[in-house]
Amino acid sequence: MTFVAYLFYIAKQMKRGELLGSLEHIILLALARLDGGAHGMIVRREIEERTGRNISIGAVYATLERLEAKGYVSSVTTEPTPERGGRAKRLFRVEAAGKRALQVSEQTLRSMTAGLESRWGGI
Amino acid sequence: MRRNSPPAFACWLVESVLPGRYPEAMLGDLIEEYALRAESTSPLTASRWFYSQACRSVPSMVWSALRSRDWHISMSVAMGVYIIMGMLKFAADWTISKLVAPEQTTYVVLAPFVFLTTSAIGGCVAARIRRGATMFLALIVVITVAVLMELKVCAIPVPWWYQFGFLTLGPLAVIITPTLLGRLKQQGAVT
Repeated sequence: MTFVAYLFYIAKQMKRGELLGSLEHIILLALARLDGGAHGMIVRREIEERTGRNISIGAVYATLERLEAKGYVSSVTTEPTPERGGRAKRLFRVEAAGKRALQVSEQTLRSMTAGLESRWGGI
Repeated sequence: MRRNSPPAFACWLVESVLPGRYPEAMLGDLIEEYALRAESTSPLTASRWFYSQACRSVPSMVWSALRSRDWHISMSVAMGVYIIMGMLKFAADWTISKLVAPEQTTYVVLAPFVFLTTSAIGGCVAARIRRGATMFLALIVVITVAVLMELKVCAIPVPWWYQFGFLTLGPLAVIITPTLLGRLKQQGAVT
């Protein structure tokens, strides 16, 4: 009953399409950990170090662009530097809507996994 | 290739071919990381890593461009431009076959130029209207050429590489020409 009420709560609170995909979730979490803004390669490295997943830089940027379109992250461009072949850096940071989406995803995951630990046993 | 300079082809692939809003930032990240890896390992290992990143980025970037929130607008723009391209190609084909070169063999030689020119023009128009539309237009061109190849519409037997050229160079012209023109404009070569 509580779970059904919670689903209604989510449906009411969240706009359509606000639930995060798995890569969106991981990248938002990585950005939240790298407080104060980070560029794509730093995000990729953070994910690789913490999860062992070797994702491509293209996948990171494609997801960041999608998150930016949803209003979950914002970005600014820095000055071009010679170390980057004269290219500018794009720094991304999590916005309030992104933090909210992360909280809702965490709550959803917690609700869905609650009580499963006993079934999984020794796994 | 200069020592510790990233592979030129992979750089071109990232900056000119991959869709996305921040190709420059992405390439900058890769160049910075390449320099670090070239120092800590070897330039060859770093180049291999650079290539793998560039190639592995293609599917996710293309897929992301195709499934963006307002993909239907990009698709509509691409369809509209495709119809204009079709009309342009029809007019050019008619002019060539009736006025310039009535023999079919001459037409076979001229057809790739007409096709690539209309593809390049289509790509530029689509990019001007909506950046994301070029990827859809390239996809439509690939599908059209593949269907025409399957239906064997060409009356004269042509070698496989001739058809393969249409299948690969057409969509590439759609994607690359707007980027190249944009870069030329930035450098002030085109006003």
